[in-house]
Amino acid sequence: MGENSTNLLHGTLDLLILQALGNDEFHGLGISRRIEQITRGTFQVKPGSLFPALHRMEEAGWLTSSWGESENRRRAKYYRRTKSGERQLGFETEQWTTISRAIGHALKAN
Amino acid sequence: MWLRIRFILRNLLKKQQVNSDLDAEIRSYIDAVTEEKMASGLHPDEARRCALAEIGGVEQVKQSVRNVRAGAFVDSIGRDVRFALRQLVRSPGFSVTAILSLGLGIAATVAVFSVAYGVLLHPFPYRDVDRLCNVSVRDAQRATFDEYFLGPELMQVSKLHAFESIATWRRENMSVTGGDVPEAVNAYYGLADTFPTLGVAPLLGRNLGPADAPDGQEPQPVVELHYRFWQRHFNADLDVIGKTLELDHKAYTIIGVTGPGFTWDWGADLYLPQAISDQRGGGLVAKLRRGVSPAAANAELQPLLLQFSKEHPREYSPHYIADLHPLAWEVTHNIGSTIWVLFAGVGLLLAIGCCNVSILLLARNSARQHELAVRLAIGAGNSRIVRQLMTESLLLAVVGTVLGVGMAYRLLALIVAWLPQHLFPPDVSIRINLPVLLFSVGLALVTTIIFGLLPALQMVHPKIAVAIQSGSRTMTGTLRSRHLHSALVSGQIALTLLLLSTAGAAMEGFVRLLRVPLGYDPHNVVAVGIPLHENTYTTWQGRTSYFEELRASVASLAGVTAASIAGNAIPPNSGWELPFELRGTQALTPDARLARIHLVDSNYFNTLRTPLIKGRIWTPAEIANAAGLVLVNESFIRRYDPSLNAVGHFLRVPKLQNTSPQVLMAPGADGWLQVIGVVGDAVNGGIDQPVEPAIFAPYSLEGLGGTEILVRTHSAPRGLVSSLRKQIAAVNPEQQTYGTISDLEKWIEDEAVWGRTRLISTLFAGFSILALALSGVGLYSVASYLVVQRTSEFAIRIALGATPSHVIRLVTASAGAGVVPGIAAGLILSIGFERILAAWAGITSSPLLFISGAALLLLATAAIASLGPTRRALSVDPMIILRSE
Repeated sequence: MGENSTNLLHGTLDLLILQALGNDEFHGLGISRRIEQITRGTFQVKPGSLFPALHRMEEAGWLTSSWGESENRRRAKYYRRTKSGERQLGFETEQWTTISRAIGHALKAN
Repeated sequence: MWLRIRFILRNLLKKQQVNSDLDAEIRSYIDAVTEEKMASGLHPDEARRCALAEIGGVEQVKQSVRNVRAGAFVDSIGRDVRFALRQLVRSPGFSVTAILSLGLGIAATVAVFSVAYGVLLHPFPYRDVDRLCNVSVRDAQRATFDEYFLGPELMQVSKLHAFESIATWRRENMSVTGGDVPEAVNAYYGLADTFPTLGVAPLLGRNLGPADAPDGQEPQPVVELHYRFWQRHFNADLDVIGKTLELDHKAYTIIGVTGPGFTWDWGADLYLPQAISDQRGGGLVAKLRRGVSPAAANAELQPLLLQFSKEHPREYSPHYIADLHPLAWEVTHNIGSTIWVLFAGVGLLLAIGCCNVSILLLARNSARQHELAVRLAIGAGNSRIVRQLMTESLLLAVVGTVLGVGMAYRLLALIVAWLPQHLFPPDVSIRINLPVLLFSVGLALVTTIIFGLLPALQMVHPKIAVAIQSGSRTMTGTLRSRHLHSALVSGQIALTLLLLSTAGAAMEGFVRLLRVPLGYDPHNVVAVGIPLHENTYTTWQGRTSYFEELRASVASLAGVTAASIAGNAIPPNSGWELPFELRGTQALTPDARLARIHLVDSNYFNTLRTPLIKGRIWTPAEIANAAGLVLVNESFIRRYDPSLNAVGHFLRVPKLQNTSPQVLMAPGADGWLQVIGVVGDAVNGGIDQPVEPAIFAPYSLEGLGGTEILVRTHSAPRGLVSSLRKQIAAVNPEQQTYGTISDLEKWIEDEAVWGRTRLISTLFAGFSILALALSGVGLYSVASYLVVQRTSEFAIRIALGATPSHVIRLVTASAGAGVVPGIAAGLILSIGFERILAAWAGITSSPLLFISGAALLLLATAAIASLGPTRRALSVDPMIILRSE
């Protein structure tokens, strides 16, 4: 729960959201908790970053949203990955892998 | 892409729903977090507090979502515009002045330049118009005029190597017959090449061409209609092609209709084909071959002219000098300087308008330094401020521009209606000139934006603390911005005075024309044009008595006090300038003795109220018999016969002789004629010219193929026009009169110089009133504004012991810093410009009175604007002002 939760690399948030969604649908808090879970608590996305990202990604066509009922019988907005979102995930995964491999090599170089 | 557009539209159009959706989403998030906290054992209130703290500002979250949304930029521009609008509405005086300044400047520039462009630079819609030349000549006495060639000579000239092709014109008065009333029309005959040379596509059907006048045959009975005639006579009937039109009792087939802007010859109604072998010939416009200059064509034409003068000494003078000019030359020659002086005046007006806007923006925005500093201090970015100021300036500029463009169209229509006739063909198209429109609009936009942004640019290195501490109202303005103010105010005043002095000079020129002693009384006199058809009244006796019969019929009408036959003598431009000989005096060079020969009758002087000075006037019988008796005017005596008592002497006008089958000469017309009287001088060479020597001879000496009847009426002649026509129809129902019957005051107004001076003085009067109003308002708002800004400074001064008179002196000095140099510069510029103007218009008297008046007016404006608010400031207790900070 440290400061690093805000120090997400630019573009990483999109990757995490797309990855966290999988083929299910989640509401905002659900996505936030899921990211926390799959990064083993390293990243905790705050609403100030999460919501702009969700809306931006929806407008980019990677996500769709619909109103539904939560487990506590509350109205909530649910997000789901689209085909275009899946393609974007593939693209971003590839890019991230390239970067992390390169950084890894660089750090091992000496 | 379409997805993005859909979202932009959704965000902009369904803003309410999108926002309430976001509210609900965030709310449900908070609720979910709260429930989580409660589940972990917290008290509901505590849980909610924690949840809100974790989110860290609901509004910030919402705003950051709104910022990433598609169309967020558009949305914020919308907000900027709304804010800018509120700013403009909050200071209506400033906004209205600035918008009007821009609008009027643009309107005047665009309208006047469009006229200049339409008249001067691109008046004729022909193909290769720059290669088309009037085949004109000049001689020692006369300025350049279009030469008229008879058939065989026309053929020779058209074969010159310099000419690629030619277009010809020969005017005939014809009547449309076969209807209830014969309708007079202007018909123009042209050789087969005419329309192909001009290269203008017809509106309907086809143009006249070589097939209509085959070599060695009579031309086909076909006619092409001018657009104007087609509209008037056929109500723009689209099926007119192939129908017949009866002209002088002969049927012609209609083959085409010209476009509306077609200008081949003045006021033409119809075009007809002419055979190359036709003896009657015509005037000539030639298309020069590529690369051939008018000078080269002149050199080729000159030997031909010499040859013609040997073969036909009556028709062609040996002194003719070939003098070809491009078509536009005549128009440029007539009105060129006028338009350019006008354009200079209009440019001044645009400059004053832009100057005004600059001053206003500077004054207002320097007062906003404080506001801007506060905005910067609470976190607005530099770019945000620049954008805001830009939006405000742009809004101002756009409103002003739209207004200006609208007014430009209106103003253009007004000017075109005011343009003098006869300076250019009636069909010359004058339209809004797009490049100038764009230029003026661009200039207005750039000025507004630059001066609107100036305060923002000063903020690039902001001394926010200083700006805020000093507060807006205590600031006296930085020294630099005050210098800029003074400079702009000076510049504007100088420009205004310059414009005013030009206007004064222009109007003085017009007043001078109004005061010209005419020597005749044009009031309540109309001229009725009587054209004769070809081959009618073919005997001298018949023609002379026919004219007299018409005159007598008109004279018998109730309300007519006098009627006279004036063959070629309608003032202010009357008679033919011809050489004459005076018997018994030393013969001068033949060309030196010139007089204007007027062909009139015994009622002429009575009708025009020109006094008889000496001797007598003809008797009606002498007129009827074409007696060889003449009168002369006073200028004639002064120039040619100062020592002699002219009455009783003899003179001879050799050129009064048979020149065409259309003219029927009395025997002895070119013999010695005795002077029987002297009449007073009346203007005869145009109202701006001195009276020339004149000889008055009986009209019956030379039976012209048409005449004018001058009619003096008791009251305004307008009401009598139809009765006049009836009187003429009573003599001969087939007799037409020239298109409009107009009075002699109209003839004066139709003079080119009259129209030109009237136009220019009216426009300048309008411009100078505008300029004075604009700079007055600008000066007032700036001066009063600067004083209001210094109110608390004055309060401090008073509190520290200054007397009101000190403060007033201070205000006067700072207002004077802008006004006085401006007036000085304006006076110097005006005097310099007056020199140029004197060369242009021959105006020698200085419009100093006019300028001094304007200078005083501007001084008074500045004084009232500065001293009013100062007095108000001084009347308030200084402590109240200081506490209000």
